[in-house]
Amino acid sequence: MSTKAVNYKPKTVAWRFYVVLSVVVLIYVSLAARSAYIQVIEPDMLKHQGDLRSLRTSENEVHRGAIVDRNGDELAVSVPVQTVWADPKTIIEKNGLAMVEHWQALADVLDQNVIDLKNRITKNPRRRFVYVERQLSPAMANYIKQLKIPGIYLRKESKRFYPTGEISAHVVGFTDIDDKGIEGIENVYDKLLTGESGKKRYRKDAKGNTIEVIEDIESTPPKDLILSIDQRIQALAYKELKGAVRAFKATSGSVIVTNVHTGEVLALVNSPSYNPNNRTGVAVHRLRNRAITDFYEPGSTLKPLTVMSALEFGEIKANSIIDTSPGWMRLGGRRVSDPINRGKMSPADILVNSSNMGTSKLALSLPKDFFLNKFFEAGFGEQTGLELVGESSGIMHQRERWSEFELAALSYGMGVAATPLQLARFYSTLANGGVKKTLTILKKDNNSNELDNSNYFEESERVFSNSNSMAVVKMLETVVNEHVSKAKVDGYRVGGKTGTAFKALAGGYGNDYVGMFAGMAPISHPEIVVVVVINEPGGDLYHGGEVAAPVFSRVMKGALRLLNIAPDANSETVVLASKGERTNA
Amino acid sequence: MHSTGQDQQKTFSIWRRLHIDVPLLAGILSLMILGLFIVYSAGGQSIDMAIKQARNMGIALIVMIFVAQIPPLIYRKWAVPMFIMGILLLVAVLLFGHIGKGARRWINLGVFMFQPSEVMKLIVPVMIAWYVSQKNLPVRILNVFIAFILLLIPTLLIARQPDLGTSLLIASSGIFVIFLAGSSWKLIGSCAVLASAFAPILWMFLMKPYQKQRVLTFLNPEQDPLGSGYHIIQSKIAIGSGGLHGKGWLQGTQSQLEFLPERHTDFIFAVFSEEFGLIGVSVLLLVYLTIVMRGLWIAVHAQQAFTKLLAGSLTLTFFVYVFVNIGMVSGLLPVVGVPLPLVSYGGTSMVTLMAGFGILMAISTHRRFHA
Repeated sequence: MSTKAVNYKPKTVAWRFYVVLSVVVLIYVSLAARSAYIQVIEPDMLKHQGDLRSLRTSENEVHRGAIVDRNGDELAVSVPVQTVWADPKTIIEKNGLAMVEHWQALADVLDQNVIDLKNRITKNPRRRFVYVERQLSPAMANYIKQLKIPGIYLRKESKRFYPTGEISAHVVGFTDIDDKGIEGIENVYDKLLTGESGKKRYRKDAKGNTIEVIEDIESTPPKDLILSIDQRIQALAYKELKGAVRAFKATSGSVIVTNVHTGEVLALVNSPSYNPNNRTGVAVHRLRNRAITDFYEPGSTLKPLTVMSALEFGEIKANSIIDTSPGWMRLGGRRVSDPINRGKMSPADILVNSSNMGTSKLALSLPKDFFLNKFFEAGFGEQTGLELVGESSGIMHQRERWSEFELAALSYGMGVAATPLQLARFYSTLANGGVKKTLTILKKDNNSNELDNSNYFEESERVFSNSNSMAVVKMLETVVNEHVSKAKVDGYRVGGKTGTAFKALAGGYGNDYVGMFAGMAPISHPEIVVVVVINEPGGDLYHGGEVAAPVFSRVMKGALRLLNIAPDANSETVVLASKGERTNA
Repeated sequence: MHSTGQDQQKTFSIWRRLHIDVPLLAGILSLMILGLFIVYSAGGQSIDMAIKQARNMGIALIVMIFVAQIPPLIYRKWAVPMFIMGILLLVAVLLFGHIGKGARRWINLGVFMFQPSEVMKLIVPVMIAWYVSQKNLPVRILNVFIAFILLLIPTLLIARQPDLGTSLLIASSGIFVIFLAGSSWKLIGSCAVLASAFAPILWMFLMKPYQKQRVLTFLNPEQDPLGSGYHIIQSKIAIGSGGLHGKGWLQGTQSQLEFLPERHTDFIFAVFSEEFGLIGVSVLLLVYLTIVMRGLWIAVHAQQAFTKLLAGSLTLTFFVYVFVNIGMVSGLLPVVGVPLPLVSYGGTSMVTLMAGFGILMAISTHRRFHA
């Protein structure tokens, strides 16, 4: 259609247009391709970047709850501290470094070199946040605040403080630098103690105005935790234990005090312990809560269980007589013996003399399954319900074949391993008239601890009859009265059993002992169980009656008085009880 | 346009009489309507801004229709005086101009600010087209050289203001004329070589620090994400977060929340992309392509060398607008202040553009009478 314009050659220009046309189309395609690349191929990164610019999450900080003992004494508290930080950009913009005297004052109060301090600012001129010093006391913080150096700010932080120090260190545990519980109660109930800090996700515009709130989670306030621990008993137990561990040159030791009716743990201490307020350089073994993690062969402390099993089966009565002559026997090639031939004995005598022959005879007179079941029912081989991290369930073999010797060994507490806590639970069950309770470290009465909760449940199960339990308890009183004078407590009737076991090593026994004593009081109406374990006493004394019983006596005495439990030593049941007869207090 | 029928007299429609090119008008109007919506969204949903923009559009449309009435030969006659006048105005701007936004671009006429460089966008192609079309085509080297000189004067004057975007557009409008006039490929090649040789000189002596920074930023926007790279990074984020379907009108977070700078003017494409996605972008590009195609059609069918070259140049300059703007917003080109034609907020450039379309329409509709 091009025509007769005077002065141009149409063809040249026409194909140029085609070139232009194709270039134009090409460029459009490339623009579209670019768009497609950004929008479809690469968009995730860009969308994310977009959200980074507009989405914000804010948290409302909350203080960690306190941990207190059953009487409200503080075991762990958060104290407010202040952290000083600097905004180098602001400091430089406002020429804050020119305030020479103020900086000198700041450096002085922080005990820092003023030149170093300033260098930290000038070396990061574009940073917006530099720590100056963390965790300052309010007084120091106030002083710094009044210096009014532009770009120097304070921030509230909290620091965990443990007023009871090493006494309750193993129970309470500790938090890490971020206030997160990593040991003990601090760890187990971390969520409860922390609460849920409120969270708000919102979109903001370039000017920082909030545009829309996408998500708003209400904060759950942190709760204080009331433990079953009685700090007074705890402190006493720790003092006595520490003294005994030192005196008998033992490597370690544990004491547990329980309330037999509620299953509450009133004291749980280990030695050696550590100072949770300053953990630098603490050897790892000191952090171990041995009362729940370490297990030993309970030895003679389990003999009451054998007697109990026999009573429960009906094989014997409390006044039955068992003949242990000639003081030894051979079982499948292994020998079971007493130091001397004790001849005919009542069950109480068996316990008093701690006769291996006696318990072995009783055990072998029982059906195997019945006997073994009593061990499981008593809580050996299972956790106590304390819910503390690292609790061991000991060793109680669950197998079909038990040789006679193995059964006999079991009757005097060998071939089974238990933590001090499991032992405490068994003795608590006895003292509680045969009703096995879940042990707890939290105070039980009223609703002092609002646990909404999942991981805690109370379990209460009758495993022995009340009468047999009481009978055994009274036998244990006889044991103390006739044999373990060091366990006695003035004014109270006390029952208990010693235990002295070789420490089991891989494939046999070593030369180290574990001295134990477990018992309850007052016998007329048992309230408290105390278990003492002295591990590897290094001196001449190693027998449970020598190393553990004195600790037991003092802790029990203190606990009974602190808990205002009436003395019962003069009541008429003493004599009867010592004869192993069933009486009611 | 219409069928190439023998008796065009009959096919002269009412539009022809009004000197309106319907396909061009359709494209322009759809862009304008789209533009209004996006300006409303990008302007923080300010109805005032949308009304102002509608008024700008109205004025621009009137200007276009007015210009379309003028027979193209009039421009040809007045090319030289207009060019000289324009050059004088540019010099005047440099000497007495009003300074705004760090550049001396305006002359204060009391009633309004006049921007001579805008008018030059039209005068330069007219001038070059006039000069080249006088000679026999294809042009000879000497003529090309003279045409280049003619082109260089306003380009440099505008670059001095400084106004890189406009001088670029003006230079390209002239170059298109010279190219379309049939310069040999040898010449084009040597020009390209010359231009690339010129680049270091431009870099070292002529470009202002902020312009250099733009180029550096273009090459690596992440080097200073909060400073000079901010525009382009924000813009890419906005485009990218649109995805295939876009977030919907008024829903773009980056633009609505004001993270995107210059969002209602030069970077409006990013707003559009975020809210309408790749699908919207494709439609937008198609509308632009339609207009460019129609412009080229008009150029091909123009009956004289002058009108042909002028139409081609105006169309391609429009195309350069689109390319440079979208290229810059999507990170393909350095940041140069060029608005997205007919969509970006602003009156001046729109009036100029529409006057250009007026000329195109005049070329398309007046040809019968001046054959």
